[in-house]
Amino acid sequence: CSNEFLDIASEENIAIDDQATQSPEKYVNGIYGMFTDWDYAFSWLGVTEMISDNADKGSSSTDNGGDKRDLDELLHSSTTGSVEAMWTKFYKTIGRSSYSIKYTTESTITDTEKSRLIGEAKFLRALSYFYLVRMFGDVVIQDLEDASTYSVRQPKAEVYAYIEEDLLDAISKLPLKSEYAAKDLGRATKGAAQGLLAKVYLYQGKNQQAYDMATTVINSGQYDLEADYATTWRVETENGKESLFEIQARGTAVAHGVQQYSETQGARGTGGWGWGFNVPSQNLLDAFNAEGDAIRRDATIIFRGETLYDGRLVPTSVENPMYNEKAYSSANLGSGDGDKNIRVIRFSEMLLIQAEAANEIGQDALSSLNRVRARVKLAPVSGLSKDQLRTKIWNERRLELAFEHDRWFDLVRTGQAKAMMAANGKIFVTGKHELFPIPNAQLIQTPSMTQNPGW
Amino acid sequence: QVTNDSIQVEADPFASDSIILNQAVVIGYGSVKKSDLTSAVSSANSKDIMQIASTTAMQSLQGKLAGVNIINTDTPGGTPTVLVRGMGTALGGKAPLYVVDGLIVPNIANINPSDIDKIDVLKDAASSAIYGVRGANGVVVITTKRGKTGKLKVNYDTYFGVRNTMNMVEMADANQYITYFNEQRKATGGSLISTNQKYNTDWFDEMLTTGQIISNNVSLSGAGESINYMFSVNNFEEKGILEGNNFKRTSIRSNNDYKLFDGKLKIKQSVSATFSREIPKPYGAFDVAYRQSPLVPVKYENGRWGLPIFNTTTGEVTYVANAGEVTSNLNSHGNPMATLFYDNQKINTTTIQGNIEAELKLTKGLTITSRTGATKYWYKYREYNPIKEKWIAGNPIRTASEFEGLKAANPTSGTYMNNSLNLNNIETFRWSWENFVTFDRKFGDHSFNVVAGVSAEKTGIGEFSNTTVYDVPDKEQYWSVHHASGDYEASIDQNNYTPVAYASYFARLQYNYANKYYVSGIIRRDGSSQFKNNQQYWGTFPSASVAWNISNEEFLKDSNTISFLKLRGGWGRLGNADVPYNYTTITTATGSDNANYVFGPGQDLVFGAYVGSPAYDVSWEIVEEWSTGLDFELFKGKVTGNLDYYNKTTKNAILSINQILSSPYDKNFVDHAAEVVNKGFEIALNYNNETSGGLRYSIGGNFNYNENEVTYVKPGYAGMTGGSLGNGQIAKRLEAGQPLGSFWLYEVEGVWQTQTDIDNNAHLSSARPGHLRYKDQNGDGVIDDRDKKFMGSYIPKFNYGININLDYKNFDLNISGYGAGGNKIYNGIKNTRLGGENITVDTFNNRWTGAGTSNTNPGSERDQVASSYYLEKGDYFRLSNITLGYNFRDKIDFVKNLRLYVSAQNVFIVTKYSGFTPELTLNNEKGKRYDGSPYGTTGMDFSAYPNVTTFLVGLNVEF
Repeated sequence: CSNEFLDIASEENIAIDDQATQSPEKYVNGIYGMFTDWDYAFSWLGVTEMISDNADKGSSSTDNGGDKRDLDELLHSSTTGSVEAMWTKFYKTIGRSSYSIKYTTESTITDTEKSRLIGEAKFLRALSYFYLVRMFGDVVIQDLEDASTYSVRQPKAEVYAYIEEDLLDAISKLPLKSEYAAKDLGRATKGAAQGLLAKVYLYQGKNQQAYDMATTVINSGQYDLEADYATTWRVETENGKESLFEIQARGTAVAHGVQQYSETQGARGTGGWGWGFNVPSQNLLDAFNAEGDAIRRDATIIFRGETLYDGRLVPTSVENPMYNEKAYSSANLGSGDGDKNIRVIRFSEMLLIQAEAANEIGQDALSSLNRVRARVKLAPVSGLSKDQLRTKIWNERRLELAFEHDRWFDLVRTGQAKAMMAANGKIFVTGKHELFPIPNAQLIQTPSMTQNPGW
Repeated sequence: QVTNDSIQVEADPFASDSIILNQAVVIGYGSVKKSDLTSAVSSANSKDIMQIASTTAMQSLQGKLAGVNIINTDTPGGTPTVLVRGMGTALGGKAPLYVVDGLIVPNIANINPSDIDKIDVLKDAASSAIYGVRGANGVVVITTKRGKTGKLKVNYDTYFGVRNTMNMVEMADANQYITYFNEQRKATGGSLISTNQKYNTDWFDEMLTTGQIISNNVSLSGAGESINYMFSVNNFEEKGILEGNNFKRTSIRSNNDYKLFDGKLKIKQSVSATFSREIPKPYGAFDVAYRQSPLVPVKYENGRWGLPIFNTTTGEVTYVANAGEVTSNLNSHGNPMATLFYDNQKINTTTIQGNIEAELKLTKGLTITSRTGATKYWYKYREYNPIKEKWIAGNPIRTASEFEGLKAANPTSGTYMNNSLNLNNIETFRWSWENFVTFDRKFGDHSFNVVAGVSAEKTGIGEFSNTTVYDVPDKEQYWSVHHASGDYEASIDQNNYTPVAYASYFARLQYNYANKYYVSGIIRRDGSSQFKNNQQYWGTFPSASVAWNISNEEFLKDSNTISFLKLRGGWGRLGNADVPYNYTTITTATGSDNANYVFGPGQDLVFGAYVGSPAYDVSWEIVEEWSTGLDFELFKGKVTGNLDYYNKTTKNAILSINQILSSPYDKNFVDHAAEVVNKGFEIALNYNNETSGGLRYSIGGNFNYNENEVTYVKPGYAGMTGGSLGNGQIAKRLEAGQPLGSFWLYEVEGVWQTQTDIDNNAHLSSARPGHLRYKDQNGDGVIDDRDKKFMGSYIPKFNYGININLDYKNFDLNISGYGAGGNKIYNGIKNTRLGGENITVDTFNNRWTGAGTSNTNPGSERDQVASSYYLEKGDYFRLSNITLGYNFRDKIDFVKNLRLYVSAQNVFIVTKYSGFTPELTLNNEKGKRYDGSPYGTTGMDFSAYPNVTTFLVGLNVEF
């Protein structure tokens, strides 16, 4: 009887029914936005690069960068903040994707619009699951409507199946790069989804499928190599012909980019512009030199004392001898919101995936491999055995894709990790280090979840 | 045996909180004789309240009510934290419900303690259930004074007191600071300071002054045939121990009762108006005073404010540098004296409160009562921020013309405004209307008392506004929006509050047979508009209790030893509706935010959105309590006492929940998450006697023990952390099996003596010789979160109070003390010391200075990791009052009595805690200062206001 008396309208906050609704596209934009978070700068560097043989922690010896020294020395644990941050970030990205898919599906926009937005969301969800499965193996497959799924790890194979399903659907829904309106440059494309799927196949040893998918991208007519390798990570090639997918960043006001990606890796000390983390290792420098690969070496590494392509002198007073040039931003230096687009999938990787898969299934691997080498003025490869060629392609991946956040997972995928880490003076424990530990904070929340072996 | 609220009882110092068996206890919608109670109620009278000079009545009652834990704060105008029978919630309100003369009020800050006749605290569910959804934290029932039959009585009461800090922490002096600073610099590298310095500032000495407390109270009361009246005026002022910190309150009260139709109709009217003015000062100054170096002067010789600047070339702490010399900072803190000097805030409040009640006797035993009441509240806050002066003071070499130049060059920059003026106004209103019938009859040995009624209430009707304008003229008379410069855009916000409405039905039956066997039952049905989200407005809150008055049985009737003995017990269910509002957060943002992204050839910013967290259904918290007790009186009233045991479960405590890491959402949300149990016992004992020589004396004491435990946490909700040190470290975590707000820390097992020592053992990667060494609890060779241990909570396990009264001829003496224990305190201020900040003398004297010097205390170079080293025992005992009075009875014409007294309050404290005060109720987190959340920094020492000692003289005159 008194319900009328109790039914008091909210005055402080506008009731959800009275709020203007957000367009489905906004929720999809919000997924992309997640990749600009701080964790995709600092934590990401730790778990993809510093941990590998390509990079060292860098910075001052007294500055551990939180847990970066632990990662560099393979002393990380289930409470390492960077590992927890990435695990969490992937799931929040997946959550935003799933919510977008649900919201878009239920919305009243046209089917064409729906199709593209769902395609984008599925691509981004697949990318996040791929990052997850590479780091952690068996992982949670999140169901938006069922909280009980958050505590159950699904076998790796099922996670890969889920990724493939998302990507196949995304491929069927997404437009080609050239079909997008200019204002949408940077959104996920059919080519991006195909490229990622080729990589996902490669990781599973599905060589035929990897070969086919990479070939599809190569033959799509949408992509090509940039003429000059040195420009592949510079402003002028952003979203260019070599780009399958990259994270967008804008350096001028209103600036928005991956939080401090350039700053954390900028030269440190007097005359520097950054924190000096994630520096090239001697081991990587040696690898370039051993191959006689001066072009990629000089495009990847900033040497103390050198004059950069934009005329900036890196004074000898900076603290570390080498820095990551791919993170260098000419215009924005160490701005928090820099202009550095982070290349996620490049065309040259498609050539290398095709070559690697071709070698395994007895197809022509050399022409793709040599196409990559020719650009950086390296002699064509020929006359190698299958095993020799495999190693050669792996090394090519290392040099071509150095500091592109793949090295550690390549090492684990190809079984080279123990030997390569030993060569870099680090102890890789077989049966443990292949996977990162499930974060302790997650296990506290969901005690029924199992930890990875050895942790 | 049951009477209505209007019963008057003379205050008797020899029976405070004891069982005056025929005393009336107000239990909501009626009152009952103490001897007939079936539930647990603690009571205090006017004497108890007036014994200790304080802003609000509850502060004076610390240690006087068993089971009521009162944690004081000595800030001017500050109100204590009151917890009845433990803490059952984290995010929900923890304060008891206050009821003044039948009217539910938000707090009692506006009530003049001298106007209070008595306070009854309903402690158990069996009694509190009459307040249903708002009864979970106990109910404090306040009855104000009313006129009594007889001649006009005029009372004048006054006191004046001075206050000084007690239990100060001794900080290092200049020489000790220099040694410590240079030791640390040698360990980490960096410029040293020279050993001969100009200044040796004791910041606390500079900052603190003698506080004052003054009260003047006049009351007139009396009664005629058809009218009772009471009128009072009170003026209260408190000056804080920080220069300029001040609180003033003026209150006026008029309570009148009218009797009509041969007393068949009684009309009671109570109205009060309270005006307060407060000049707050930033208590963060205590933090800075602790941390700032003694080498920094308050002011340099030239009158400029001192700052921690030192010349790295000469090593001298000065801002002066010759050509080629370089200066640097000792630390990043400012000058606390300058902070206090430039702080300019003022708060004015006005509270008008009143209620009127009509009580009509229909037939024998049947009464109908209708009452209505309302509270209107105005709050006005003003802050003047002299940006320009502060900028100039920010460096001794800055000048006004430099500022003017920058201002001209940066016409829109907020850094170069002359000043800002912030005005914040709040206006609220609440009303209630209650109607109930009372049936009170005795049929032979069967006594019945039945109350049934309805109530409607609406609170939180109002609005707030917040305006900031810039560049007003310097003189105070021009500080208004009207006089602000047009050069900067004003910031204006105004919003309405969403009112909360309550509708309730309630009924209570009390029955006894021959004053031996008692049964009581309550049912209240409450609807609250807060739970509109899920349309679940209504809740039902029952309770039942029984009692057996054994002393009325034949076999005890003639006992000389036991004059009264009653066993009682009950059960009840209560609600806590003071819970956070829950809503689905859809986040959008402008500018750089992870909701947004850039697309297109021009990389234009596009806006995005995401769901932070969907809302969960949140309802009131439910508390269920079993309790039992025993009341007794021995040796013809010489010994009185009671014993109580309770077991109280909060079934569905609301917590702020961190998302499961693998969940889709990333914003915290609130949900019913845990079950919290508080169980414990209370003992109150009082002995009083009178010797043949005319000495009357009484010794009373009470003790209560409470065990708090989180017994269940909903799956997925565990692992919530809190107690941020502000540097990325956390000190608390939630887990089933631990008390609320448990500290969770590394266990210290020594000090690293050498680098070899570190290399050969599990260590943090930041470890260096002289750092604390943490125990590898799980033995995995790595020090990480899994090595942290639960180490107890800040919530005291026990509290106790003692109270001694002596009366001899014209002299009277009161001594009382209060203590608490079993609690832990985290010394956050000591833990978070950064290089160049000052230390305590203890820290200096005990430090590690090289291999073999100490395996307990770290060196000058130490980490800021949260560990057991900084967790200290919080047990304390405070001698809270000694008062000696002398009465001039009937010595002067027309003066009935004149009493002069001297009093010392907080004479000393016994505690092992190394900080300023073990009573820490505030949350240091921004904007959450008073929420008392166990997962905030409550119980952690950051910038606590010290306890103060008060010496006062007073005068009571009765005409």
